[in-house]
Amino acid sequence: MGLLNFTRDPVPEAVSGDMHNLNQLSAQQFSELTEVLFRFLTEPKEVERFLAQLSDFATMNKISLGPLKNIVKSILLVPNGALKRNLSSEQVRADFIALGLSEEKASYFAEQWKVNSPTLTRLAVGQTLMINQLVDMEWKFGVTAGSSELEKVGSIFLQLKLVVKKGSQLENVYVELTLPQFYSFLHEMERVKTSLESFS
Amino acid sequence: MAALRDGDFAALQMLLKAPSKDAVRQLCQECFSSPPAALGPLAQRAGPGLAVSAEEAEQLVSALHNLTRHVVYRGFTGAEDILCLFPENFHQNLKNLLTKIILENISAWRNEAQASQISLPRLVDMDWRVDIKTSSDSIVRMAVPTCLLQLKIQEDAALCGNNPVVSALTVELSKETLDTMLEGLGRIRDQLSAVANK
Repeated sequence: MGLLNFTRDPVPEAVSGDMHNLNQLSAQQFSELTEVLFRFLTEPKEVERFLAQLSDFATMNKISLGPLKNIVKSILLVPNGALKRNLSSEQVRADFIALGLSEEKASYFAEQWKVNSPTLTRLAVGQTLMINQLVDMEWKFGVTAGSSELEKVGSIFLQLKLVVKKGSQLENVYVELTLPQFYSFLHEMERVKTSLESFS
Repeated sequence: MAALRDGDFAALQMLLKAPSKDAVRQLCQECFSSPPAALGPLAQRAGPGLAVSAEEAEQLVSALHNLTRHVVYRGFTGAEDILCLFPENFHQNLKNLLTKIILENISAWRNEAQASQISLPRLVDMDWRVDIKTSSDSIVRMAVPTCLLQLKIQEDAALCGNNPVVSALTVELSKETLDTMLEGLGRIRDQLSAVANK
């Protein structure tokens, strides 16, 4: 097997056997299986749904679930590696062919890869480490009517509640701003937006 | 908030023993700014300069504190309002001097009262930077801009006394989060202008 695009590590031995088994599926069956796979890849949290759909596929096509799961494990190696390395659909197709999948099925999978890769890339970027991610912001503003030191006040205050993700916990941070501070904050945030946009 | 008591004006007349008008002015400012708990030590410092006993000094300092705080509380702006507070038989020149000193300081004192009002932790400073993420364990090559925002937040001044605790919070915002935040801030600005235009 020549150099693969999706990985630099040696591929497990079982993979060529699994690809051979895949080639035995009809085009219709392969297309259904591919759909199940991509639905899982685009919604990786839906593990139970994925397993249920695999089980249905196995029953409907009279395949045993155990071997099917092994086949699926082998197939998933390629899209996972491809995502990490930003591979093109041609490279994905080439890799499947190198692993032993038929040209027809490799081309089909590569097509589906092309269609789904924007969503998948966005998901992968979203998983990238973020420090103290700002998750939510709530605000209220009002007027201070009076205080124990000043009978009549009439000044505007703005209160922000920032919900920050620290590790796996959420922490609430409460801040009060005066009106000039608010306008200054808004101005700075608009500058940040311009900066971010110039880099996108 | 301090309310004026009966003995206060009697105690204030001890200011007639002050060495100069500036001394009176100085004492007024110190009495206003001092929290009730710190009036004792202030009296001990001020007493010798006025040639009064320790007990008299305490009464005087307390009276001045009450008077200045009361005027700021009521939000008086004119001399008449302040002059009306004094009883009939109060020393005329001292009354005028005190009124003058109070009027000179009233807006600074008002600002001081507002600044030391109870509040949630206050924003004191904010800095930001924009980074470009180029690689991670989930994607080997990318160019994703992200914003790091550092907010310096000071705890309630009243709770910290003279040593305000300032903590720094650094948060990371993605472009989407920033856009949502700006939307929210924009809505606040619109509502503020609606309120201002009423």
